[in-house]
Amino acid sequence: MTHTAVKAPDGLRPPGRALVRRGTLSVLLHRRSALVAAALTLVLAVAVVAAICVGERTLSPVEVLKVAFGHPSPDRLTIELLRLPRAAVGVVVGFAFGVAGALIQTVGRNPLASPDVIGVSQGAAALTVGLLVFGAISSPFAIPLVSVTGGMLTAAFVYVVAWRRGLHAQRFVLIGIGISIALGSLTHLFLIGADIFQALHAKVWLTGSLKGRGWDEVKPVLVVLLAAVPCLLWASRAQRGLSLDDSTAVALGNRLDRQRLGLAALGVVLASVATGAAGSVNFVALVAPQVAARLTRDAHIPLLSAGLAGAVIVVVADIVARVALAPIQLPVGVITAMIGAPYLMWLLIRARAERPS
Amino acid sequence: MTVRTDMTVRTDVVRTESTSTAHLGAEGLTLGYAEHTVVTDLDLQLPPGRVTVIVGPNACGKSTLLRALGRLLKPARGLVLLDGEDLHHRPTRWVAQQIGVLAQTPTAPEGMTVFDLVARGRQPHQRWWRQWSAEDEARVTEALHQTGITDLADRHVDELSGGQRQRAWIAMTIAQDTRTLLLDEPTTYLDIAHQIEVLDLLRRLNHDLGRTIVAVLHDLNQAARYADHLIMMRDGRIVAHGDPADVVTDRRVHDVFGLEAIVVPDPVTATPLIVPAVPRYARARGNGELVPAEPADRIG
Repeated sequence: MTHTAVKAPDGLRPPGRALVRRGTLSVLLHRRSALVAAALTLVLAVAVVAAICVGERTLSPVEVLKVAFGHPSPDRLTIELLRLPRAAVGVVVGFAFGVAGALIQTVGRNPLASPDVIGVSQGAAALTVGLLVFGAISSPFAIPLVSVTGGMLTAAFVYVVAWRRGLHAQRFVLIGIGISIALGSLTHLFLIGADIFQALHAKVWLTGSLKGRGWDEVKPVLVVLLAAVPCLLWASRAQRGLSLDDSTAVALGNRLDRQRLGLAALGVVLASVATGAAGSVNFVALVAPQVAARLTRDAHIPLLSAGLAGAVIVVVADIVARVALAPIQLPVGVITAMIGAPYLMWLLIRARAERPS
Repeated sequence: MTVRTDMTVRTDVVRTESTSTAHLGAEGLTLGYAEHTVVTDLDLQLPPGRVTVIVGPNACGKSTLLRALGRLLKPARGLVLLDGEDLHHRPTRWVAQQIGVLAQTPTAPEGMTVFDLVARGRQPHQRWWRQWSAEDEARVTEALHQTGITDLADRHVDELSGGQRQRAWIAMTIAQDTRTLLLDEPTTYLDIAHQIEVLDLLRRLNHDLGRTIVAVLHDLNQAARYADHLIMMRDGRIVAHGDPADVVTDRRVHDVFGLEAIVVPDPVTATPLIVPAVPRYARARGNGELVPAEPADRIG
């Protein structure tokens, strides 16, 4: 260390971040985000154990943990065949919705620009129901593909219709809401026109329920999530540029068009594949990223925490859905809608109140 | 630690050498939005290491020109050249290391701290494996110091006053450490004292760090006072450019801005000072009646 006679200001470090520097390598870690992610992981673990315990026959958490660590238990079959798969669906679907919401809200620069508000989930649902009721889908493995196709087509359509020499978040959201309503009607039309058994099958899929779902539904979502990890690492850096205005972002060397397209495509795929696995679990993609952003107070929506928050919401909502009117099991989508709908209204009211400024 | 030694080196000495090579200019530049042409067939050379100010009436294309020079707008025809190379065919990151741009109404996300905003200026120099180098630390510390906002580093950008906020944004572009800095109306929305503060800061950056500064300004008197090189535009063309004393004349102010004015030497700096000459009406008197004013050259 060399000190010259002139006293210069000390080097300043980013506040609230942990710095690891080894030679030319340096990594910053947002302390609060890391803490929030750790806390949410813990909450999720507790929620999953609770979800496994709760049911027709209540199990003790001790039994659940015993099974988890490979000890013999009389409840092993109940846990491994019924409750764990169901909780797992909740985790992956919630995680995918949460991350998808964070990505699309970042691109839209608006909490309202969520895949389940702008029609992506509804598009995925409409195409899947359409093909289900007309018997075009024979294998359950085809559903994720069909859903992703439906979601992508809808997103592209909304994008094209909303494009007018640039993309304005407000117009994008309004057109998306319109199209999602139209797609909802289309879905009902498919159900009415269909054979009763096909319609029933489609309707059960559509309501956003975790009932009777298991590893077959977990697999495609998990595969997509794992495949998306490198893309998500890229996305979390691309998000930084998008949090500033366009001119400044470009001046700082961001390739905005490419980044927006990448983030949006990633978000649409995740939202669609989650819809394919559990139907429309509404409002999770809307609420989870906002909860995560408020907890971490970072300048952009944290992807990991948004995913974890989504998983917690879906798993907890499913517990409520099973317990609230037991022995009747409500679809989890009903519970998430009860949380999400008032929040959506609050956002709309706040957006209107802020407009004059 | 390299940081401290770095900070003690007089940066101005180091910088001025590299600055001399930043030749930014344009050839046959035509700019527009959709069908609407704003700037037509414009040639331009910006003197390196100097302060250039672009002036002109509203909608003359001065901001559009600045955006094209900063690569924020793709030319319909023609080239923007940096050291003889077409700017629009160079990698985005490389351009961001050469030219900093302060947009007209930049926006930061809610709750972002001044430090984080200024640190964003380092983005073109960062990689995912190099998120906070000693160089980043030195440049951000220096930028905060240069703009006098070190004490505000932990405050939120949205709770600053207009003048403080503008200094934070300028600090961000300083941290970007580019040889050329383009600013689009950096004094708009500021009161007169803060306008002067920002303009003084820009001159100081030019003097101390040897940065080439190009700014679009609304106020002709301030432009004449702070510019080494003045570019006057009208209807998407350059009407005159050069030393402010040569560019700003009664006749040009009339032809370009449509304003009858006389140009006198500024009592402080001796740069041209524009005094509107024959307003059609003076201000209303107590009874609300409008009183024709005396032509300025007959007063006194």
